[in-house]
Amino acid sequence: MRHIPRGLRALTAAAVTVTLLAASACGGDSGGASSSSDGGKVTLRFTWWGSDTRTKLTQQVIDAYQKDHPNVTIKGEFGEWSGYWDKLATTVAANDAPDIIQMDEKYLREYADRGALLDLKKADGLDTGKFEPDTLGAGEFDGGLYGLNAGINSFAVVVNPAAFKTAGVPIPDDKTWTWDDFAKTAAEITTKTGGKVTGTGALGTNEAGLNLWARQNGESLWTKDGKVGVSPEKTTDFFKYILKLRDAKAIPSAEAISQDMNASLDQSAFATGKLAMSFIWSNQLVAFSKATGQQLKLLRIPSPDGQAAKNGSYYKGSMFWSISARSKHQKEATEFVNYLANNPAAGGVLLAERGVPPNTEVRAEVTPKLKPEDAATAKFIQDIKQDLGDPSPAPPVGGGQVEKIIQRYTTEVLFGRQAPEAAAKAFLDEVNGELK
Amino acid sequence: MSALGELGSLRGKKPVGQKKDNLAGYLFLAPWLLGLFLITIGPMVASLYLSFTDYNLIQAPKWIGLENFTRMLSDERLHNSLRVTFTYVFVSVPLQLAIALLLAVVLDRGVRGMAFYRSVFYLPSLLGSSVAIAILWRQVFGTTGLLNQVLDVFGIEGKGWISDPSTALGTLVVLNVWTFGSPMVIFLAGLRQIPTMYYEAASVDGAGVLRRFFSITLPLLTPIIFFNLVLQIIHAFQSFTQAFVVSGGSGGPSDSTMFFTLYLYDRGFGNFDMGYASAMAWFLLVIIGVFTAANFFASKYWVFYDD
Repeated sequence: MRHIPRGLRALTAAAVTVTLLAASACGGDSGGASSSSDGGKVTLRFTWWGSDTRTKLTQQVIDAYQKDHPNVTIKGEFGEWSGYWDKLATTVAANDAPDIIQMDEKYLREYADRGALLDLKKADGLDTGKFEPDTLGAGEFDGGLYGLNAGINSFAVVVNPAAFKTAGVPIPDDKTWTWDDFAKTAAEITTKTGGKVTGTGALGTNEAGLNLWARQNGESLWTKDGKVGVSPEKTTDFFKYILKLRDAKAIPSAEAISQDMNASLDQSAFATGKLAMSFIWSNQLVAFSKATGQQLKLLRIPSPDGQAAKNGSYYKGSMFWSISARSKHQKEATEFVNYLANNPAAGGVLLAERGVPPNTEVRAEVTPKLKPEDAATAKFIQDIKQDLGDPSPAPPVGGGQVEKIIQRYTTEVLFGRQAPEAAAKAFLDEVNGELK
Repeated sequence: MSALGELGSLRGKKPVGQKKDNLAGYLFLAPWLLGLFLITIGPMVASLYLSFTDYNLIQAPKWIGLENFTRMLSDERLHNSLRVTFTYVFVSVPLQLAIALLLAVVLDRGVRGMAFYRSVFYLPSLLGSSVAIAILWRQVFGTTGLLNQVLDVFGIEGKGWISDPSTALGTLVVLNVWTFGSPMVIFLAGLRQIPTMYYEAASVDGAGVLRRFFSITLPLLTPIIFFNLVLQIIHAFQSFTQAFVVSGGSGGPSDSTMFFTLYLYDRGFGNFDMGYASAMAWFLLVIIGVFTAANFFASKYWVFYDD
């Protein structure tokens, strides 16, 4: 007789035990070889985020450096922004951090305050003598230098002139335009192209827009003493403005915007020609130019009353070079960072893709060689110099979460799931809760 | 010697050379045992300790007692992630098992090319929790994805299924249901175990197809249903990859696909709060344990062991 055996119950129980055990211990893999050296040979691991363009340029610099330093091998590890931070956190936790880390302002304190980064002031062989004054400040705190400015950028509006031409809309004067002008222009483009091209990407897909909005209204996202500096009222206004853009069809549908939040630069709506304008960091112009194959243009961020000098712009360290405090080859790593920052040959390859070089000598050397899109970035940075506001305080520990949080509340507002007032309050509560 | 040994065991005495056999046995078990202790038990004990600490991955953990657990009581995003996870488990598992059982019964009736269908239906189970399929899912249900193109043919206007908070979780439920192949194969094996004479006897007595299904197939299959139910519930509670990849790691839009496991990951690796994340892992273990125990308890009343 072929009966279902009683043993099956035992089998069920056994299967349960095994799966349960696996539940609380997922991910015990700490793979990846750490840096090693044998017979004077040194292998450095170097990690960065960015587009294909950046990866190609960076690899060129690595190749050139290896040719001059036959004892040094540099292994590049690169990825998209969205996955980069998870991976970095995992490798740092596993005591397997890369030697040289491309760092962002948002996470600089997070890592430095916990002793994961080397104080570059104490590192041998790094020369910052030629750096433009003020450009070192953002990577400096508690008396140490934990991130070396890798380029200067500024938040800006990027314009696809071809889309404006198709729509028959003139590109407005960015020295006098207001937020109302901006909304009107964007809506006009959507209407005149019959929706084929949408006017602009949304504000609120990262925290930079809110910071500028706050700065234009006498506040700022972060205060100097590491607190949240923007009021619920101004945040509410910010969300209300996003709704205004939505209702005027100046921005894409809520679904498209939420999808775009996770898209890579090369696949984003602006890069694929679906938008006439968007908000970007000025150095991203290079990558977006490559992706769209168009001559793009940078415009200043609009202001409340049409005065460019009051639009709250500031020079930001687009990214930083940091060295792991646990690197076994700090000397070699420092030498390589020094090469990236100060060597004119390296500058001649990297150009302004990571932002305008903060080393004035490199900048002077590089400027005549710039390709049109790099030159446009450099010129934009030069042009806005006279209109800059105060430097923007760096985010405190825990502030790195703000990007994900504002994305979530912008989505809530766009889908009409939360009113601007409620979203503003919940947003601020949550950001405050993340600070440590 | 072997004949002697056999004789010995027949008489219930310790056979010669059993010690050697034991050693060989443990040696064969060694790879699994090592894995169990190093990769499973070790990290589990470590995470139990960490759940009582404030640990940011870089600095040494600091003992804070039950603080992580009391924090969970007021963490609204955690409550939301529980809602999302429970919805996912209690919608997708019954659907998946129903479809698996239905197809198993149909295939068991001797469809031509059964081996082919069995393989085809089983395939998604092998791929279902893989990153590649999750990426594919993102494309299929995206604004310009396959689903919308198909809908377009019928004149229905599509939408961004994955980027709309009201439908995003639904796409993940569909993904899980789609992997009905592995419970289906187990159901098929179970159906083969049911003696045909019951059906013959029932037919003689004039029982129809439905009557035979509900009075013979279903009761005799209850141990298999139970087995699948328990495993699939545990499996669904632990789902991570699909939501992580489909939402680009954010659990979005608007936390609508923020599974408990995903929130755990976000706290641990996004927010450097590994103590809290460890506490969450143990909380999940307790949840799964409670549901499994309840399942076993309830099984007394509906599972029929035929022996």
